[in-house]
Amino acid sequence: MDAMQELGNIGAAHAATTLSQMLSSPVEMSVPLIKVVDVSHLADHIGEESAALVVFELQGEIPHGGYIIFYISRVSAVRLTNTMLGLTDPDRPLNEMDESALLEVGNIMASAFLDATAELLGFVMLPSPPSLTIDMAHAAMQSLIAQMQEEIDEVMLFSTELVCEEHKIDSDIIMMPEVSTLNRIVELLENMMKSN
Amino acid sequence: MIGIGEYHIGSVPMMAIGLGSCIGLILYDRERGVGAMVHIMLPESSGRTDRPGKYADTAVPLLVKELTGLGCKKQSLVAKMAGGAAMFEYFGNNLNIGERNAEKVRAILAENHIKLSAEEVGGKVGRTVAFYPGENGKVTVRSADGVAHEI
Repeated sequence: MDAMQELGNIGAAHAATTLSQMLSSPVEMSVPLIKVVDVSHLADHIGEESAALVVFELQGEIPHGGYIIFYISRVSAVRLTNTMLGLTDPDRPLNEMDESALLEVGNIMASAFLDATAELLGFVMLPSPPSLTIDMAHAAMQSLIAQMQEEIDEVMLFSTELVCEEHKIDSDIIMMPEVSTLNRIVELLENMMKSN
Repeated sequence: MIGIGEYHIGSVPMMAIGLGSCIGLILYDRERGVGAMVHIMLPESSGRTDRPGKYADTAVPLLVKELTGLGCKKQSLVAKMAGGAAMFEYFGNNLNIGERNAEKVRAILAENHIKLSAEEVGGKVGRTVAFYPGENGKVTVRSADGVAHEI
């Protein structure tokens, strides 16, 4: 578990640095959380609040390896794209420009996260083209869980919060691996520790 | 509040939040003013028995059994459902689980001769569904940007 957390740490640190560069202001990162969630209790962790989710399937060595998700509340999403696009109205509806900006941010973040984990483990996970939804967060996560390859009653979420105080932007980067991916990561981490 | 794969029977208000490809299925007995809601995630149980509420093929018989066990007559049950959306279209392994869930529910209801009196399924949006057995079995559906409306 500690090793997993370290892996999440390195991945999220890269993503945080990248986000910080895009916003030209500091981004704080939480300690990565590893949550094992029974699907019947998903709503205790992710509610019906409106959020933008940029979702990538994990591909590469394992073809359907799970998902990596850039999660940002609707309110924070507007602040983020306002900062990027030089706009100020916090109450405006999100349009195509915002969607492109969110996809772009998600893309860069997911790539930064996966580059870092590939470097550490030598295990290549490539992000699929992104898919964006701006809707009830629970509905989006539930849909992803339902279409996972291996049917599961519990899902493992690696979640790290990225916060930009200056612009009041709160977001998360979440990895939701398939069991096969998880086993592979654990195996690689164990090998690393043995050889040290 | 009914989580994924869970169900509830009775006369108190019930709710399933944030349905994406999942289905919130309601059976209501007009005669007795009681009903049940289940939060279905997948169409087929493929022999699994530990969470019957999670699958369309086992959830419908489960609710029928529980309600008839309380003295409800099968012929006075009516069904409503919401959910079954396809929120992500671009993944290679997309199986449109939402649509398959809805189709399976319709088929199993028909097998049991239970009338589906209303449905709000498909599309790309998440939904929250609420059921009020005490108010003539009223069912409301709400999406992220909308107010709750009755179906």
